[in-house]
Amino acid sequence: MTTTLFDNSRVSELRLQQAALPWRRRTANFRVAVAIAVIVPPVIVGLLWFLTSIPKPILMLVIYLPLQLIASAIAAWSQRGTKAVLDSAIIVCAIGATIFSFVILISVLWSIVSNGVHALSWAFLFQNNVYISPSTPLGYGGVGNAILGTIMVVVIASLFAVPLGIATAVYITEVRGKAVPYVRFLVQAMSGVPSVVAGLFILTVFILTGVLQSSGFAAGLAYAILMLPTVARTAEEVLKLIPDDLRTGALALGSTRARVVMKVVLPAAKTGLITAAILGIARVVGETAPLLLTALSNDQTVLNPFNQPITALPAYIFSNVAQPYPDAVTRAWGAALVLVILVAILFTITRVLTAKRVRR
Amino acid sequence: MSSAEFENIATLEDEFTESPEVTPERQVEMSAHDISIWFNKRKVLEGVNIEFPKRTVTALIGPSGCGKSTFLRTLNRLHELIPGAALAGEIRYEGKDIYAPEVDPVLIRLAIGMVFQKPNPFPSMTIRGNVLAGLKLSGMKRPNHDDIVEETLTAAGLWTEVKDRLNHEAGSLSGGQQQRLVIARALAVNPHVLLMDEPCSALDPASTLKVEETIRQLSKDITIIIVTHNMQQAVRVADYTAFFLAAEGEPGHIVEQGPTTDIFGNPQDQRTLDYVNGRFG
Ligand SMILES: Nc1ncnc2c1ncn2[C@@H]1O[C@H](COP(=O)(O)OP(=O)(O)OP(=O)(O)O)[C@@H](O)[C@H]1O
Ligand SMILES: [Mg+2]
Repeated sequence: MTTTLFDNSRVSELRLQQAALPWRRRTANFRVAVAIAVIVPPVIVGLLWFLTSIPKPILMLVIYLPLQLIASAIAAWSQRGTKAVLDSAIIVCAIGATIFSFVILISVLWSIVSNGVHALSWAFLFQNNVYISPSTPLGYGGVGNAILGTIMVVVIASLFAVPLGIATAVYITEVRGKAVPYVRFLVQAMSGVPSVVAGLFILTVFILTGVLQSSGFAAGLAYAILMLPTVARTAEEVLKLIPDDLRTGALALGSTRARVVMKVVLPAAKTGLITAAILGIARVVGETAPLLLTALSNDQTVLNPFNQPITALPAYIFSNVAQPYPDAVTRAWGAALVLVILVAILFTITRVLTAKRVRR
Repeated sequence: MSSAEFENIATLEDEFTESPEVTPERQVEMSAHDISIWFNKRKVLEGVNIEFPKRTVTALIGPSGCGKSTFLRTLNRLHELIPGAALAGEIRYEGKDIYAPEVDPVLIRLAIGMVFQKPNPFPSMTIRGNVLAGLKLSGMKRPNHDDIVEETLTAAGLWTEVKDRLNHEAGSLSGGQQQRLVIARALAVNPHVLLMDEPCSALDPASTLKVEETIRQLSKDITIIIVTHNMQQAVRVADYTAFFLAAEGEPGHIVEQGPTTDIFGNPQDQRTLDYVNGRFG
């Protein structure tokens, strides 16, 4: 077979040649300069951190950042002249900004985990909230009903928002009708609707008129209003990425426009459309205001989405976090942790599903 | 090539049409009459008159940008899908104007297949699925899918390379393999006319020869119109050749057309002589 073509000694020879390429080599001088620029400022600031009582944020922003900028600038200048100074400043700022946002993200996650982990137990995950008052100690009662509630509301919202959102995107990118600019404008305007307005809309139009009861279904509708623009806009971007060659190719085979969309364009965009749905869910899953207006709350486990109020996780968090009892607050943190985990599970599942499709 | 299928069509059609050897004047399958084409305000082609006799291969040659692809796309009504595109004149298929209001463009495109300049297999489908895509998309019913897959892939010169992985995704093929796959895909719906826009520009010499052989074979049954930049290819496959040219800032037109041997052996126009001898364009 072809394997005989590859001689291992040749390969290692090639590697050696590559290692010796002149532009790869860096002088010892250069390494020293970089090492000094990277080590000296942190060491100085580290000493100040432990030995003085300068407030930490001031230490980082007013002392460390300028120090690091100057040190890098000097190192860059000593190696490559004045032109390199700006270069080094940009690199330092970029790395600094990355670390800054990373730190914020991690600290948010950490506060949820560290505060919420005490509340976690099997009982917390699977029991409902009946007979539980804010002063009940941890270990009794839980968010089982709220987890089910969140899943129910999100599923109902997806049933409306995902098909409608994809249909909107199909109208914009495939049908290309006369109303495209108006539809696009409307979708854009809708994405600016505050969540409380979506809740009020369902409340006044459906609940106060007696068409619907305060229920999971009503909350699902409110969520769908918020989800729709996200799904529609993401799906539009995804469908725009499908090359026109595929569409003309299908038409040239004697396909109708409808079949082009159903059998070629949408399947080719499947991965992206799943992502659009997930982004839509992520957009709404933590919304509290629509729940308070349309689903109220209910300590019991509810399976029927139509006939009674239900509790979902954000509403549970909302009602517990302001209680004067530490255990209730801890339960609120626990529920927040559960919500984060739910979203993480959702993201992981889709990542795995979509990655598989790409590889095959 | 297992050409049982193709012979089948040939005998079927022979019942309705006289065979080319009998009539001195060959029957015309398609023809263009005084065609002009615009993109918005810009006229890119003017006064094109040409006939495509049944069961022949016609090569369209000419420098880049002179409107060959555009002309080809008017022959199966793909041109009209581009916003701002316009057309004047008449295109006849089997004697009837394909742009007449009562004509369904979907049926025209089913009868007049096309292979594009760039390979465009459907990424969501398997290799087998791509070959059969035309049947699925047009709703055409043909029995024995396995035979269709083997026949068309063989005709396109791809069968031996993919016969063990028909259920892999089409995206896993190389560019040249993809191009042969879309040729097979176009053949699976049994077109009467096949438009090919530089079908071999992504192929290596061996597969190019294979595809040319297929074109010769197919031309026993169907009419083929092929755009090519490869002069030798035009000589090898085409019965007739039309030379397109666009002067600077002006719409393109046909400078000269006729039997391939005349165009290459005894051109009447100096510009044709220069072009086929590689002196410009
Ligand atoms: N979608 C389009 N919109 C506007 N102008 C176009 C479009 N497609 C092609 N044209 C113009 O029409 C002219 C003819 O293009 P066409 O693609 O038919 O050339 P061609 O002869 O096929 O060239 P090539 O040999 O490079 O494929 C060109 O000047 C091109 O700029
Ligand atoms: Mg072209």
